[in-house]
Order: sequence, then structure tokens, then C-alpha cells
Amino acid sequence: MSTPNSRANLAFYAVIALLVFMSVGPVLLMFINSFKLDVDIISGTSGLIFMPTIQNYEQALCDVLWYEPEHLDFCSLKFGGAFINSLIIALISTALTLVIGCMAAYALVRFRFMGRDTVSLSTLMVRMVPPAVLLVPVFGLWNNEFCLDRDGLIGGAIRDTFGGRGDVCLAGTHSGIILIYVAMNLPFVIWILQSFIVQVPRSLEEAARVDGAGPFQVFFKVVLPLIKPGLAAAAIFTFRIAWNEYLLASALSDRDTRTVPILIVNNMSEFNVEWGVIMATGMLLAIPPIIFTLLASRQIITGMTAGAVKG
Amino acid sequence: MPTIRLDNLVKRYGNVEVLHGIELEMAENEFTVLVGPSGCGKSTTLRMIAGLEDVSDGEIYVDNKPVSHLEPKERDLAMVFQDYALYPHMNVAQNISFALRLARRPKSEINAKVKEVAEMVGLTDFLGRKPGALSGGQRQRVAMARALAKDSGIFLFDEPLSNLDAKLRGQMRAELALMSQRVQKNMIYVTHDQIEAMTLADRIVVMHGGYIQQQGTPEELFKRPVNKFVAGFMGMPPMNFLDGALEERAGEMWVTGDGFDLRLSGEIAAKAKAHSSREVTLGIRPSDLNFAEDADPATALTLDVQVSEYIGAQSVLLCKCGPAQVMVEVNSETPVALGQTLTFAVNQRGVHLFDRTSENAL
Repeated sequence: MSTPNSRANLAFYAVIALLVFMSVGPVLLMFINSFKLDVDIISGTSGLIFMPTIQNYEQALCDVLWYEPEHLDFCSLKFGGAFINSLIIALISTALTLVIGCMAAYALVRFRFMGRDTVSLSTLMVRMVPPAVLLVPVFGLWNNEFCLDRDGLIGGAIRDTFGGRGDVCLAGTHSGIILIYVAMNLPFVIWILQSFIVQVPRSLEEAARVDGAGPFQVFFKVVLPLIKPGLAAAAIFTFRIAWNEYLLASALSDRDTRTVPILIVNNMSEFNVEWGVIMATGMLLAIPPIIFTLLASRQIITGMTAGAVKG
Repeated sequence: MPTIRLDNLVKRYGNVEVLHGIELEMAENEFTVLVGPSGCGKSTTLRMIAGLEDVSDGEIYVDNKPVSHLEPKERDLAMVFQDYALYPHMNVAQNISFALRLARRPKSEINAKVKEVAEMVGLTDFLGRKPGALSGGQRQRVAMARALAKDSGIFLFDEPLSNLDAKLRGQMRAELALMSQRVQKNMIYVTHDQIEAMTLADRIVVMHGGYIQQQGTPEELFKRPVNKFVAGFMGMPPMNFLDGALEERAGEMWVTGDGFDLRLSGEIAAKAKAHSSREVTLGIRPSDLNFAEDADPATALTLDVQVSEYIGAQSVLLCKCGPAQVMVEVNSETPVALGQTLTFAVNQRGVHLFDRTSENAL
């Protein structure tokens, strides 16, 4: 290797190292701190020299552990429940968003109907509205409008099964949060899938129609397999947002439907911030999206439509 | 298999009418080629037969039953697309069997059919491959096999060879001709390439500007074109056109123009005599001009040779006749030097005359 080349390489590696440090550094810090006691974290003097402990994890996971940690006399955190809530909400809202999104995108790309361009544009406009703006009206609607009368047939049945007082409202239910997440993510998913569907050659669909496929078979057997990379990208995006979302979930959930991000913030109180537990919960919170992304990104293969038509 | 009849077929996009009342009948087991320049409506006609385009007016009859309201899948047809349109996520065998699988045929039947068809087009070794791993010619074969596997009565081809290179195109053309003899189906083939049309067709339908110009056997179209468009479109190199006027001298019909003065004889002279207008266009195919030093000047053209294109056994000479350009096909052994003025005898049976205003043949 010649000298100028290796010098260029040196700069190249320096930039990479900086980027890696910037992205991995905070995670590393969180990882290390999650094994420290609060005193060690706050003192800040010890740096890397400390006695690792899994106390934080024990405290974070106290409701799912099969034994009772010695250092805890009361299990205040319900990580297990929150984790399941997060999974339910993130997975169902992702699935719903994809199902509705790919059909809507297909219709917008392939069918001619009145106001198609308006719809296409306005879906994106909705995306421009910050979620915080949605919060106030949605909170009101979910609490006061979208309710089933407790004396009514369905409302009464739900009340009898799950107990509680007052009318059955969307607020505080999984469905309430899932609904708002779907609404929030749908525009982007429709938008991203549109660009994938446009790339599916129209003659493929025509060939399928001649081969005897109905509209749904054309969609599910020909179009859907070809936009799998798009679906995967959209799924990663949607899952990540639904998993991490804090603001809407904090307002719309109740004690039983709380998600993990809210649980983390609950560790901060006026008098005490339990950094160790926050770090440990944060580490645990990061695992599902990583697994999900690894699984989904396998579907992102370029050149899906190679060989379909003459380029 | 089935007969197809197009009855006054009209296609409009908004206010623009692109097909103006197409009337066409295709008999059983006939290989019909729709040919014409791009934008002439041939592909639209085919897609209307396939059910991929709506019929604006008129009706399509298959075996005397109207079908224009039916979905493509209800029409008993198979189609080969210009760009192959293979399903990229399925391997060759799955591509071929897609229609059969949709129809929920028994597995043993599907396997047998795939095997049979793959053998027919020579794809047996590639059944497990995805279309992306195939060459252009192989993809074309898959497209063909997919249509064959469907076993429908009507076979539609939408410029299937236009994406292949010249050599492969010739080879596939021969295979297609062979296949059309073997499988007895009603085939409709769209192309802009008149050589494909000539070699494959039982019947050629020449289209231009949304109208059918002429239909008939390749020979009929070549020898007796009904108008200037068909005459110019069929045949390679194309027919030469010279503007001239008809004159009657001493009982004989002559056609005179800038740089030529030709005596007519036989059938064409009689037609010229009966024709009312004197303004005509003379049409002569390059192959109907023969190099002859001692030809009778009354039945010959005198041309200035400008360029000679050597193409093997034949050479095409680009010559000047007055202001017009004339192409002559000669044996390449013919001693010709550029810049010479030579005499070429005109084959009297190859003389065509067209009315200058209507462009119809006399």
C-alpha cells in the first residue's frame, strides 16, 4: 500500500471511530451504569473501576423473578406487565398499520378514483402534525366521547367481565393506544409503500390477471411478495415508534396498560432519581427492537423485481 | 380452436378516439399478425381482446359469444407480454404453473404439465431458477411456456421478440413458427416488425392510425397492396415512390415524372387508363429493378448510383432519380461503380400506381 493511500485510510478510520464512539458511547455508558449502584453512578469518580452488581436488574425485574431479591423489601415496579403491554401495543399497531397501509398505498397507486391526488397529498400532511397536538383532543375524545354505556349491552358485558366503575371508555385500554399509534404511523407507511408499489411493473399484474387471478390474488400473490422489503422497512419504522412512544402513552394509559417507557420515567421522583434502575430498564427496553429489526431487516433484499421484465 | 370476431371495435381515451371501428374475423387455428408502426392501435386491439383494456364501443365475439364484459381470466386465453412479465419471486416451474395452481388443478397434473411444457421450450434444466438468473432468451421461453401451460384456446403475443437481440430474434422466430404448427390454437400476434409478420402469419392485418389498412395473406399484401402505406410498410428494403403523371400517347399509357418516362403494359396500363385523375405516385420495389445495360429505355429507369450497401449476396444501391431517391437490390457480383449512371429494367408486373390524393392503389 502506498503512503498517500494509507494516510487517507487513517483519516477514514478516524472518522469511522468518531462515528462509532458517538453512536455506541451512550449505549455503552448505559450498559456500564446499569451494573453500578446509584452511589457509584453519582459519585462519578470511580469511572470503570467498580464492583458490578445485578441489583438494578433484580429491582427492575422484581415482578417476574422466581426468587425474592434480598435488597428489596417491596416490589414497586411492574416491568413484566409493562413489557407485555408494550409488546401487545407495538406488535398489534405495527401489524394493523402494515395491513391497512399496504392496501391503501396499492389503491392510491393503481386505482383511478376521484380525489386520488388529494388523498395522497393529505395523508402526508397529516404526518406533519406533531403528536403533541393530537394529545389534547384525543385525550378528551377517548375519555368522554368514545365510550360504551355501562348499562348498554356490550358495555355492560365488558363491565361485568373486567369489573370497574363508570362507562367503558377507550382511554386506558390497549385499543385506545393502538388506535392512535396506527393513525400516527399510517401516513408514513402509506407514503413509503407507495414508492415500492410503483416499482412493481404493471405488466406483472396484467399477466397474473390473464393467468386467472382475481384482484385479491393479484395483490397477495404477486404484489405483496414483491414489496416485502418495503413492508420490512415500514415495519421496523412503525415498531420502533410504537415501542418508544412516551407522550401519548403516558396520557392515554392507566395503571394496567402502562408501557415500558412510562415505567422508566416513573423511577424519577421529586426526591430521588434511581439512575441504576433507569439504566437497567433502558437496557431491557432496547432488546426487543433490536431483535425485531434483525428479523425484519433480513427481508430487505435489493433487486426483488430483478428478471421480471426487460430492464 | 375458437373463432374471434371484432365487431366495430372502438377505443377512446377521454375524447381522443384511438381505434375507429375495427372489423376483423379470425378463423379457427389461424395465426393472425397485427402489424403497424408504433401508435397505430395494434397493441390496444390486442389488450382489448385480452380484457386488459375496456371496450369503448363495439363488441368482441369469441365463438359468437360476446366477451367484452368478461374479466381476462374468464376469456380462455393466454398472453405473452413484450417485457416477459415473469413473477420474479417464483422460480421457473412456479412461473409456468401459476395459472394451473390458481385453477386448483391436482398436483400430479400440474407437475406433468410443467414437465411437458418445459421440454417443449427447452427449459427442463432451469426449472429451479429464478427469472433473475436467466438470460433474455431463456426468460422469453419461460414467458412462452407459461402461456402454453394454460392450455387455452386463444394465444396472444404482444411484441414478444422485440426485446431480444437480432440473432436470438431470428432463432426464436423460427421456434415460434414451429410451435404454431404443433399447437393448434388461435394465435394473435402483435409486432411492428414486418419481417416477423411475413414469416409467421397465416394472415396479416396492417394497421395505421387506428384503422385497418389491409388484411390478407403475406403474399397478397406484398404483391397487391391496396394503398401507399401498406406498400411502403411491407417489404425490406421498402418500396420506392416516384411522383409522376399519367399520359396517353398513341394509345399507350405512360407515366412521366422528373427523371423518368415509363411505358405501362398489361393489367396496370388498363387500370391507369380507366383512372380519372392523372396525378399518381409510381411504386416499384427495389427487387423489381434489374440491372440491364441494353434495356429498352421505355421500360427502364436511368439512375445515378450514389451509395452501395453491401449485405452479402445482395447489395442495395442508393440512387438518384431526379430529386427522388431510389433503392435498387442487385446481385453483389454486379459491376457497379459509384457515381455511374446506369439503366435498370423495370419488371412490369412489379409496377404499382397510387392516386396522389387518396393514396389508394389504382
